[in-house]
Amino acid sequence: MIGTGIKRGTAELAVLSVLENGALHGYEMARRIEQQTKGALRFTLAALYPMLYRMEHRGWIRGAWETSSSGRRRRCYRITPKGTKELSPLRREWAELFTALRRLTKVSHA
Amino acid sequence: MRDWGEVVRQRLAGLALEPEEKREVLEELAEHIEETYQTLLRGGISEQDAVQRALSEVPDWSDLQRRIHSARTKEIVMTNRITQFWLPGFLTFALSMSLLELVQKFFPQPFMLHLDHAPVLLFYVPWLLTLPLAGATGTYLSKRAGASPPMALFSSLFPVLPLAAIFLIAIPLGLVISQTLSHGIVAAAFVTLGIEWVAVPGAVLLAGGFLVRVLFSRRLDSRRIAGN
Repeated sequence: MIGTGIKRGTAELAVLSVLENGALHGYEMARRIEQQTKGALRFTLAALYPMLYRMEHRGWIRGAWETSSSGRRRRCYRITPKGTKELSPLRREWAELFTALRRLTKVSHA
Repeated sequence: MRDWGEVVRQRLAGLALEPEEKREVLEELAEHIEETYQTLLRGGISEQDAVQRALSEVPDWSDLQRRIHSARTKEIVMTNRITQFWLPGFLTFALSMSLLELVQKFFPQPFMLHLDHAPVLLFYVPWLLTLPLAGATGTYLSKRAGASPPMALFSSLFPVLPLAAIFLIAIPLGLVISQTLSHGIVAAAFVTLGIEWVAVPGAVLLAGGFLVRVLFSRRLDSRRIAGN
């Protein structure tokens, strides 16, 4: 059964997936998502940060200030064990959605 | 060089967070805009266009302010309410009802208080004796979840709250009905039930809660002394 929060789930799945490969700060995260989806998914600042803060409060990701070698201070986010656990049901929901859509498309073409 | 920190600070001036938390949020957002702006400049875009496009990351600042505030506070309040009140409350309720079941099974005969040879009040004394345990559990769980002292005590009262709510609605109704019957029977019955199932059990639950509160504050005091 595909949940009603599927729309929000897309963004959360995208964030958790890019963070699965390592810690990132907000700007880099948005850029990585845009690049990896070839521009299909694009997060503006206004869309990204409220979601990151919400996910942080749920304990799915953890942010910490880090200073780069150039002396720039950035808040980097890491996926937590709880967030990793959230990934599998989100992926399953999306797989279900795509299977359902594929099935529907085939029926429409028949 | 543009001061994006100042731009963000001005536009999110009304963001109602703790000063330190707000400072961090503003710094993070300003950093994001700065990076967007720098990337655009490096891509050969004119400064004016880069500024416009960097600012277009936020189409509505007041909406962003509202959503950040909601994301950083709402879920905490909800979670706190659940862990500090509803969860301890429901557990206290379940425990007190289970104790009542057990008492009624093993000591089915209630204690009756008579007035002029007529039973007036009825109490399951063994149940009342075990209720401080339920009240103490509620307060302990609530306190452990970080509840304030009044909320911790309130959650120990949870088992009698539904009944208290019913009586608050039913007593005035009962008074109206009893007036029409011209006997005080209905009103008296509600008062009696209120004492038996709300007032006395509530007081006993609170006693358990108070005990935990005293123990908690003593433990805190001894920690403070040890810390000094």
